[in-house]
Amino acid sequence: MKRKVVSVLLAGAMALSLTACGGSNGSAPASTGNDGAAATDSAATQAATADVASEDEHTLSVYAWDKNFNIPALKAAEADYQKNVDPEFKLNIIEQSQSSDVETAITTAASAGDFSTLPDIVLFQDHWIQNFVTNYPDAWKDLSAADIDWSDFGAEKLSYSTINDVHYGVPVDNGTVIFAYRTDLLEAAGYSIDDVTGVTWDKWIEIGSDVYEKTGKYLLSMDGDGNDLPYMMLQAEGKSQFDENGDPQLTSEDVKAVVDVITRAQKANALYLANDWSDYTDQTIVGDMVAGVMNGNWIIPTIEQVAENSGKWEITTCPTLTGAEGYASNGGSSLYVTANCKNTDLANDFLAKTFGAGSTETYDAALKNGGVITCSTKAGSSDVYNEGVEYFNNQAIYSTIVEFGTHVPVVKQSDFHYTAREQVAAAIQNILGGADIDSALKDAQDQLMFAMGK
Amino acid sequence: MNTKKNGFGLLAKQRAAGWAFLTPATLLIFVMSFYPMVQAFIMSLKTGSSANMQWGSPITYNYARMFQDKLFQRSIGNTFLYLIIEVPIMLIFAVLLAQLLNEKHLKFKGFFRTCVFLPCATSLVSYALIFKSLFATQGLINTVLVSLGIFHENYNFLGTPASAKAVIIIALIWRWTGYNMVFYLAGLQNIEYSVYEAAKIDGATGWKTFWYVTVPLLKPVIVMTFIMSINGTLQLFDESVNLTKGGPANTTITMSHYIYNNSFDGVANFGYACAMSFVVFIMVAILAAINMKVGDTRD
Repeated sequence: MKRKVVSVLLAGAMALSLTACGGSNGSAPASTGNDGAAATDSAATQAATADVASEDEHTLSVYAWDKNFNIPALKAAEADYQKNVDPEFKLNIIEQSQSSDVETAITTAASAGDFSTLPDIVLFQDHWIQNFVTNYPDAWKDLSAADIDWSDFGAEKLSYSTINDVHYGVPVDNGTVIFAYRTDLLEAAGYSIDDVTGVTWDKWIEIGSDVYEKTGKYLLSMDGDGNDLPYMMLQAEGKSQFDENGDPQLTSEDVKAVVDVITRAQKANALYLANDWSDYTDQTIVGDMVAGVMNGNWIIPTIEQVAENSGKWEITTCPTLTGAEGYASNGGSSLYVTANCKNTDLANDFLAKTFGAGSTETYDAALKNGGVITCSTKAGSSDVYNEGVEYFNNQAIYSTIVEFGTHVPVVKQSDFHYTAREQVAAAIQNILGGADIDSALKDAQDQLMFAMGK
Repeated sequence: MNTKKNGFGLLAKQRAAGWAFLTPATLLIFVMSFYPMVQAFIMSLKTGSSANMQWGSPITYNYARMFQDKLFQRSIGNTFLYLIIEVPIMLIFAVLLAQLLNEKHLKFKGFFRTCVFLPCATSLVSYALIFKSLFATQGLINTVLVSLGIFHENYNFLGTPASAKAVIIIALIWRWTGYNMVFYLAGLQNIEYSVYEAAKIDGATGWKTFWYVTVPLLKPVIVMTFIMSINGTLQLFDESVNLTKGGPANTTITMSHYIYNNSFDGVANFGYACAMSFVVFIMVAILAAINMKVGDTRD
């Protein structure tokens, strides 16, 4: 009798294991997605399941993800359009917890062949868009019908959202890299901001090491998991992780030199590698562990969260291997109209008359409320851009950044940007763990080639 | 006597009732489990982005790809490492705890049992996030260890491959020991007290009673918990995603996490993800079969 009970139990366990496994094989994307960290934002998941595109002829819906940064910019555009075009216009901004939620939403909709879950417009990361347009061409509506003067925008920025000479996206921000320093901490170590401008990375590591010794703060921090540094440093040299044919070249001398700088900086306590993105922003920057921050200028609102350090920061260019001033660009995003948009004319008109027109009203408010810096030359010349910013010791950082932006070299882009980035980050972790630099980069190159199917 | 009344025999009636009870569940299992499994297998033979999938050339493209995928091989290694270290420790803990809490003279039994079981009631994501903040470089564990003088400076538990794996194993043990303990408690309560009395009269010590009486009688339950734990560990996902994100440098990634990354990280590669899922499925089936064979008490 007892044996029978046990065999039933065992059979039950087997059946459970089988069904559970079957479930994970074939279940709909939504259910697996809910297990992930992304699902912690309940608002986002709710939004993703409902039909969010607008039926109303005066309303558009849009996905965006940063309430300190791009959401204020969208609100500025909404106010601009209400005031100057359509008083009844309403922009329904649906906040996502992170940019990858938007990517997942597109993947899910495109895989199911049902775009009705998408909003009218999405904000999308520049480094991902080429990959997504290539793989999911039906998810997007191009902007050839929109009346936009494209020559007003920076060429580097447009190189992301233009695919096969067709414009898909309207730029919102500008990813120009800044290197911000705490001047008080530099001073405490006997340096000034001029000492870290136009220097070689070798000299910079020396300075960083001194700063750490005297003040206990790292001169730079980065997310060690999705490391942005190698890409930015390479671009500042005018180099790319990919050659002209789009093949990865992670074993090249350039990549090796940059990776070598990063590992030496980490060992010299000039650089702190956080475990993940939230550690990078919350622990190292907001947690006041660093004397310097280098990233796309969208990082500025994060720096500004530490109110007591107001007036102590200044920005400059990044170091290079040769000692010339380095200019780069990282991240940034643009607005794209999705296949689910039923009122394409309104969407095109809204984009063309706000962000697309270089409207000072939109961009000035976006700058004031969200710190969003334009790459439109027209909007970038307004008075607001030339005002000094108190947090940055009254330096006119915005016009400085627009100026930096004009020097950024255009480097070879690839659909596999993030895969390459991850592999280089992994190689750096392995080198710090004791691996040899050549073999670690060789591994990264092999993995990347494998991921690209080459 | 009334068998002819409705044109149905009593036996036929019973059969019909049996089928009526079985049908809904059978249909559901077919639609919700077996059909997706077949679909997943078909998909595992295809390649390309999820919006435009084509038959692989050759048809086994995705399966052949796995043999060259170092990351997938590493994820298998990691998963089995968790399995080999975590499952025995957890089950031994669970048996010992069950034995303790089954003690006749123990006071506040209900309270202790609730305490041990309580971790199971927490959500996988939230407990993983709590462990993450406990073991963060500036977290509680580091603060305590440094102030006690055990460590000189804060240690990056989640940023170092070996310790990150250890943290995942510790978290798993915390989360699942109570769950398995409940099965053992139920099993222990099914053992007649007279068996223990007989053992006592024969002069068996506490340890001997445990080893020669309790464990053999618990064997069926032990086999079942083994199968469930192996199965659960092979599908480990939440801890890898939420505690370490598979990092540093993918050294702690599990098979399910890698499959998820292939499906939902950027552009979906459902074909390859399905192929890997099938490999996991086969592994679970083989391990469960071995386990049942080993646990089979029939001669």
